[in-house]
Amino acid sequence: MEESPSMDDHQDSSLVVGVGLCDSAPLLWRLQDLKTVRSLGLVGALLGSLPRTPRQNQRLGRPLLLLPEEEKLLRDEEAAGALPGQNQDVGGVELQRRFEEDQQRSFEEQSVLALEDRKSALLRAMTSSHTGSESGAEAVDEALRRRLEALDHSFTFPQSAMAVQLSTARAGLSYCPEARAHLQANWPIREQNSPRSDARCQVFRDLRGRGFFLTSAGKFGGDFLVYPGDPLRFHAHFIAVCLMLDESVCLLDVLAVARLGSNVKKTVLLCSPTADGGVHYTSLQWSGMV
Amino acid sequence: MCDQTPNWILQHPAYQQMKDLEVGDSEQLHAAFLVYMDLTEVRRWKEVSCVKSPELQVVLLKAKEKEGASVQTIFPLPVHRSLSHRSIRQVLDRGFPVLLCAVAADSTLVYQRMTDGLVTPDPPAGPFQDVGRRQHRKRRQQH
Repeated sequence: MEESPSMDDHQDSSLVVGVGLCDSAPLLWRLQDLKTVRSLGLVGALLGSLPRTPRQNQRLGRPLLLLPEEEKLLRDEEAAGALPGQNQDVGGVELQRRFEEDQQRSFEEQSVLALEDRKSALLRAMTSSHTGSESGAEAVDEALRRRLEALDHSFTFPQSAMAVQLSTARAGLSYCPEARAHLQANWPIREQNSPRSDARCQVFRDLRGRGFFLTSAGKFGGDFLVYPGDPLRFHAHFIAVCLMLDESVCLLDVLAVARLGSNVKKTVLLCSPTADGGVHYTSLQWSGMV
Repeated sequence: MCDQTPNWILQHPAYQQMKDLEVGDSEQLHAAFLVYMDLTEVRRWKEVSCVKSPELQVVLLKAKEKEGASVQTIFPLPVHRSLSHRSIRQVLDRGFPVLLCAVAADSTLVYQRMTDGLVTPDPPAGPFQDVGRRQHRKRRQQH
């Protein structure tokens, strides 16, 4: 496996992450897998909603979406395996039955507690309104007893009033941890291999090999954002634009991306793979000549 | 003024020199001349000369920002043109710092620095101070 400065020393070469395919999107679901790819210097993008903080996009949770280049890197280093498809029939029925049992039990418990609640409320109401009058004490007791009896017979606890607990703490993701299929040669190839995507892949590998962390740069009109270290600790230094050496680009586009780069304090990097497997990098910067 | 010397550009010795390089691209020739005038008359750069790039068939300029500075290559190009990364590499291969100059139809000039390799950008200017929670809360309420 290719060594890079950012890899952990105790990297287990048999460490394999399970990639689940949702249509064509490569997703990682398991916490350990997310840690593993981060230790390999791959960042990905979190997609999921966090149960305790919904309706916001600042902090997202699992699954992690991999870039095509990241998935290819894992594939080439034999660090990715296909997560087996969910065995929906067997698992699902069992889970549903258990859920319904739990719900029923909870309902019965709550009914009992609700009745007790009502009774003690009734008790409080009737005794407090007659405190201090001794003569009517017996009559009150009798009325109370009758009321409590009536309550016993007529009280119903409606299903709609039931409190349902939703577990938000680390809900387990149902999968079979033992069965992992190591990557076979027939891993479905989904992306069309255009020259541009080949260029992106080679550039990705080269920069990753130099210890940089890369994420997608859609917001900046480039291919990748290049960080000198983990994105949690650093700002990006470069906006990488990948193109073939002989690809023709409009000068206006070069100016536009260079201007954007200087506005956000990043250097624009033109990246082209060479025939011998290397990559040519050209840095674009504002000249300062107004 | 116009009717007196309508062809002052064509008769300018620097223009003649560039024309003699015979790149066969009159548009790029014109662009190169405008950059030449900007460097010599406006920015007062030193030892401005022209040279032909055989690979690209364009006029390149060589100049020093001031006396004693190192030579730079300036690549003038009309703004609507296209170029390839390879052609940029060929200019860089000359071994001098490169400035790409885009020339617009209204003669506006934009200079971009091009360097081989990964040049770390300048860090943001300090001094920095923590904004504090109150500032963040204010900003959030504005949404």
